[in-house]
Parts: sequence; C-alpha cells; structure tokens
Amino acid sequence: MTRKLLVGFLLLVACMLAEDAARGVELQLPKEVVAGADMAVPTMGSGSATFYLVGPAGTVKRAIKLGQEIQIKGEDVRAAGRYVAVITGDNGGSGGFWVMPAKVANVGFIAQPSRLPVALPGAVSGVVYAFDHFHNLVYQPQPVKFELSVAGAPTTTRTVATKDGVAWTRMDSGRKQGAAQFDAEVDGISARRVVQQVAGDPCNLRMKAQRTPMGILVETDPIRDCSGNPVPDGTIVTFTSVDSKGTTTVDARIKRDVASAQLPAADRATISVASGVVLGNEIRIGGAQ
Amino acid sequence: MRTTACLMLAALLLTLSGRTVHAGDPANGPEVQLNADNAGPRELEDLTRQSLARDYARAWSTMAQALDQNRPDALGNDFVGFALDNLTQRVASQQQNGLRTRIVDHGHKAVIVFYSPEGSSVELRDTAQLEIQVLQGSSVVHSENVTMHYISVMTPTEVRWKVRVLEALPET
Repeated sequence: MTRKLLVGFLLLVACMLAEDAARGVELQLPKEVVAGADMAVPTMGSGSATFYLVGPAGTVKRAIKLGQEIQIKGEDVRAAGRYVAVITGDNGGSGGFWVMPAKVANVGFIAQPSRLPVALPGAVSGVVYAFDHFHNLVYQPQPVKFELSVAGAPTTTRTVATKDGVAWTRMDSGRKQGAAQFDAEVDGISARRVVQQVAGDPCNLRMKAQRTPMGILVETDPIRDCSGNPVPDGTIVTFTSVDSKGTTTVDARIKRDVASAQLPAADRATISVASGVVLGNEIRIGGAQ
Repeated sequence: MRTTACLMLAALLLTLSGRTVHAGDPANGPEVQLNADNAGPRELEDLTRQSLARDYARAWSTMAQALDQNRPDALGNDFVGFALDNLTQRVASQQQNGLRTRIVDHGHKAVIVFYSPEGSSVELRDTAQLEIQVLQGSSVVHSENVTMHYISVMTPTEVRWKVRVLEALPET
C-alpha cells in the first residue's frame, strides 16, 4: 500500500513537472502598464508561432514571427486588470502583467436628495466614483473637492480623498432657498448636480382677525421660515375656530406670502392657526376680548 | 502500478470536473464569504448582506458560464454598465478567436468597504481563489491557479444587486 502511494505521489510530481515544461519559459513582460498605452513584447528564437493575449475585456490571437517584437496596441489593453500573454511553440512561453487605470477622466457623481428644505444639518450627500477615459475605476487615492453653493450665499467646500475609487461627503443644506449647485472635482474633472433648496417650515406663524359683515376675516402676516425665506405659495395653512356651536376648520393656501380665510360669525370664538406641524398664535373674539 | 496511477488520475480529473460544474451552475454559485463589519457610511442590514452575497456569487457563476460557453445572453441578468460592456466584449472576442475560458472557482472572501449614504451602491474588495484555463477547442492554451484581488461595485436593480464594476488589481 505504501509503495502504491509512493508511486502515485511520484506520478503526480511527474505530471506537475511535465505541466511546467509545457508552459514554457516566462515571457519578458512589463510588470504593469497604463491602460490604453501601446506596449511591446520581445520574443526569442525563429520561425512562426501564435500569440495570445487574454484580458478582462477581450482577447487577441495573432500569428507572429519569433525573434521579432510583438506590438500590442493601446486599444487591446484598455480595461484595467490582469492580462495573460502566451506564445505557443518550443520557444514560446507565457506570463502575466497588470494594466493599471489611467488618470481620472470621468466622475460618477451621485447627489441626494434633489430637493430639500433649507438649513438641514447633514442632509445633502454626495458620492463620487473616479473613472479613467476607458471607464476603469481609478482606485489610487485622489483628492475630491465638493462644493455646495447657492447664489447670494456663502459656498461650502470640503475635500475628501478617494479610497478604493470612491469618496463621499455629507453637507448641511444652505440657509437660502434656490437652486444650489453641488459640484465635485477630481484632478480637474468636474461634475455638477442641482439640489433645489426650498423654504423650511413656517417660523413665527402669526395671524390677525377682524369682524366683517360676512363673519370673521383672518389673515396671516407674511409667512417665512426660520432663515427668512418666504414659504412657497400653495402651502396649506389651517385656521380653526371654536365657538358655542362647535368647531369650524378652513384650509387656505398661501398666496403672495400670506394666507387668509373667512370664518363664520360668532359672538365668542377662539381662533388658532397652524401649518404642517407648526402652530401659530391664538386669538379670542368677543366676551372680554 | 499503472492501474493505481490511472485511478489516481481519474480521481483527480473527476474532482476537477466536479468543481467546474459547480462554478458554472447559476443555481449554486461559488462560495462567497461576505464580511460587512466595516460597511458604511450607511448601515447595512443583515438581509441586504445576504442578498449581496447571493447575487455576487450568482454573478461569478454567470460569468464563468458565459466565458466557458461563449454565451453573453445571460450576462445582463447579473451585470450592468461597464462590467457588462467588458464581459460582453470579452465573450465576443473569444468567439472571434475561437477561444473560451474555464474558471474553476474555489471561493471568495469579500469585505464590504463602502455602502453609499442613499443606498444606491455598494463597493467590496474580494480575494478569490481561481483556476483559470484558456482553451482553443479542446487544447489548453494557458492554465494557472491564482489568488486574485478584485474591487467590485454593485448597484440595486428591480430584483437583485448587479455588478457594475469588476476590476482585478495587484495585491496591495
């Protein structure tokens, strides 16, 4: 049994040696080349042979004359990754080399969200993937400059280095409403996204009320958020009147910065105003008021 | 003695052929150990991690099958964007040159290095143990056992995560 195992082992070793011999000699290849760059592979001997190049995005098969350099065009080594070159025949051989990404030429920029209220901390996120001209991910560290700006307000800038080809940041939305430009720049290549900053919730919501022949007219002061931006027209403001007959609720839309409504007449009523989660002032009509 | 040698060789061949079937079988896929301990900035839920591991394994299986059979039609189920473009070109050029590539996949140890804040992309680093054979017809042009390192970017689609970038890089 031991003898058989020994024979089996020797056979396996012989097979491995034979396989090595079949592989031939190691080709003289560069350790690495830049994506898209032409290169040459020297060969030895004489006669004809077949050259193979196998890479991530393609293969090359070509008849060659041994003893002459094999010219490999840049278009055959555009995709970054590991390549294997093989020459068949007695003077053949094989070997591998790396194609490294070229310099950054494209920026994949994802900005979120596309629309948000002003003055929200950490609400804007930006993610950048750095690619070269051939769409290879450039995984060598690169500084990425993020800029968030809106006309008439200070620009927020942050620089982050890519790690494994990606960089990200979080920024506060600005205090001024409008179309903010969110830029990312890597090695002179930039991409821009627009983040629409809209007014936040109303701040200091106040109304006044007066009796009219039709009932009670209520109207707010100009409605602005806490940063002073006018709350958009169309935003719903709710007026609620509570009197001896019950509760009356009227939803009104902001028009030209103010909202107004006509409430039914009442001897005594308590009127309140609200918009979204924001409560405004309360007014008592009649009685001691 | 010859019988023993033949039996050993037969056993070796059977073992290798068994692994090849497994690697090319989309239903099973290779083993993928996916570590998400340092994923961020977005928190990665365990269910998402499981989906990523399953879909990444499936993508490798699909790729192995496409390169072995020179059939690009299934690649779109698991790859998208640049990764899909590269693999489709690779299969087309293999067809043109009468080549095919057999990948015997011995498994992956992957680490998620980035999960984007809005959840639209995941990047992972993968160390794969592979046997790669380039064949012309039935003759082997090149054969090697390699430990490969990859960066992969995956993005969610309607039904699964797809590989958007798959790039081998030298050991760092």
